[in-house]
Amino acid sequence: MPIDYKNKRFLVVDDQPLARESLRAIAQTAGAFSVDFAPGYQDAIFKIRNNCPDVILCDYILGDGRSGQQLLEELRRFNMLPDETIFMMVTGEQSYEQVVAAVELVPDDYIIKPFSPDKLMLRLEKVAAKKEFFAGFYREKRKQEYEKALAILAAKKETEAGRAYRFETLRQEAEVHLAAGNAEQAEAAYRGILEKYEFPWARAGVAKSLHHQNRLTEARAEIEKVVSSAAQYFDAADIKANICMAQGEHEEAQKTLDAVAKKTPRNYLRKRLLAEAAELNGDTETARAAMADVVANDTMPGAVSTEDQLTLARTHVGAGDLIAAEKVLVLMRESEVMNLELAQQASFSALLAVASPDKGKKKFAGLRPALVASPLPTVSRVDVLRAALVVDDRELADGQARELMSGEDAKKVFGTVRKLYALQGRENDFREIQRQVAMQRIHHEEPPAGTA
Amino acid sequence: MHRLLDVLASGVHDTKNQLFYAESQIAEAEAKHGIDLSEARYAIETAAVRLTRTLTAYHLLRNDATLAVVPVVVADLCDEVVLDQRRHLAHAGITLTHTCSVQDEWPLDRDLITDVLNNAVQNAGRYARARVRLSAWNDDGGLHFRVEDDGPGYADPEGGRSTGLIVAERVASLHERQGRCGGMHLANGGELGGAVFELRLP
Repeated sequence: MPIDYKNKRFLVVDDQPLARESLRAIAQTAGAFSVDFAPGYQDAIFKIRNNCPDVILCDYILGDGRSGQQLLEELRRFNMLPDETIFMMVTGEQSYEQVVAAVELVPDDYIIKPFSPDKLMLRLEKVAAKKEFFAGFYREKRKQEYEKALAILAAKKETEAGRAYRFETLRQEAEVHLAAGNAEQAEAAYRGILEKYEFPWARAGVAKSLHHQNRLTEARAEIEKVVSSAAQYFDAADIKANICMAQGEHEEAQKTLDAVAKKTPRNYLRKRLLAEAAELNGDTETARAAMADVVANDTMPGAVSTEDQLTLARTHVGAGDLIAAEKVLVLMRESEVMNLELAQQASFSALLAVASPDKGKKKFAGLRPALVASPLPTVSRVDVLRAALVVDDRELADGQARELMSGEDAKKVFGTVRKLYALQGRENDFREIQRQVAMQRIHHEEPPAGTA
Repeated sequence: MHRLLDVLASGVHDTKNQLFYAESQIAEAEAKHGIDLSEARYAIETAAVRLTRTLTAYHLLRNDATLAVVPVVVADLCDEVVLDQRRHLAHAGITLTHTCSVQDEWPLDRDLITDVLNNAVQNAGRYARARVRLSAWNDDGGLHFRVEDDGPGYADPEGGRSTGLIVAERVASLHERQGRCGGMHLANGGELGGAVFELRLP
């Protein structure tokens, strides 16, 4: 399937002038209509945002502690890469192959320097053919029409052309199941791939699927296999850390993330995860430093969210630095706060009530009926619990503690909740709540006799 | 030891960037002046491949080489080997043909297997009179590649081996799947009557 390069716009991303010039010459000789340059990470993001090219040729090493792989992950994270755009990694060394073999998020292809215009064309044509094969599927997947997307895959799988994309089809099937919340089907799909070959990303997929089913011990065993065998697979560390946190093993989670975060200092999603693990582990200083780094340096527009600001404030509260926490919260714009969902409003008002009772107590009290009546995510519940303990609203606090200890994240937040009670000298009350929850479990959710 | 290797790898990396610049300038000149300098580009690419192969051989001999296995469309891989070698062989009056009956993706180390096949085709081209053939097929035994020529054949198929063949043998045996390993086999005869190089991957 020959491509008409007369209309194709290329973007060359490379920090080395000589390498940029080489790529330009090769692309133009191959027939590219226009070739634009980006000397670094930020320029690349800017150019792709404003006017997405048809083909991106990106060097693996971008300087300034950034890699082409990171750029690719960031572009996908912010949905800035249309499915039609070809992202081709260019590398001078074989080591990138090790990355591609391990990670989940791979470029459309990679090519090793030096290469001829003919080779580039051959590769681009193969990629274009593959994109064409999956085009209908991609469209439905992007619209989150998962049933339709899966139906397209199932039909394509049986065709003659589909045989060449057998693994990719299985992989897409697994990912869609996971995205759609069908963890059991995702697990089956990943295991189907493993029957054919032990790909690290497929094994990691099994671990993730098991985590979603709350089968934590099995999930942990699976991800340990990946972490020990695929050193380049940093994402596996993230998956492992998430599982460890769910198991309540926060020290191991932090240790795992610490090691990898040092190698990827500008991966701010990982920094966020590190902050979460450190906070649960009681290492408030690391949590604070990591979140401060995220808020200051994750420069992609819109990357630093309300959630991040709340997390930063939370880490300050955890470290006992109430002034810093108040500063973060007060700096959040009024309009921003007004438009928050209940969960975030709950966190905001709870954190402010702790950081600055004068400013926060009233709003927190105003939200009370909603807090009692509504389901809240774990992180907000912990915030509400902390504030309720501080303002000595025992009923609200104990209610949140009961919800937390009977919920799915009980192991994850057990240590945190116990510590919050201890801070108020109420360890015994917490023990009583635990006992009640355990009794309720034994009695199959029926209220145990003799308790109110 | 690792430091030494880092120094070597970084030297190779820089050299390849320079070679890429040279190739790109030649390619541009070819387009601009309508001339064929593909042999010069072939020499440049071969030099780069040799550098990489040297590093690979070093790792293989030290037994610390790890494969990077990805699903590969076998027909695409064959197309690429043909693209790399056909023109150069044609300059020497040798015709390279290929057949591939593998329709499925196959898990293998794309870069290493491509290099092994390129090397085998280059070797065949050195001794062939007029023809070299690359073929790929699969059966219950796994995936097979064969490179054959119409030259005099191996002096001793069981005898001493060049670096390229040692690399090929080790790369094949590193490919492991469900307890089975790959292998390399050399013979004489075949359909073209000369040397036959075979690679089998599980």
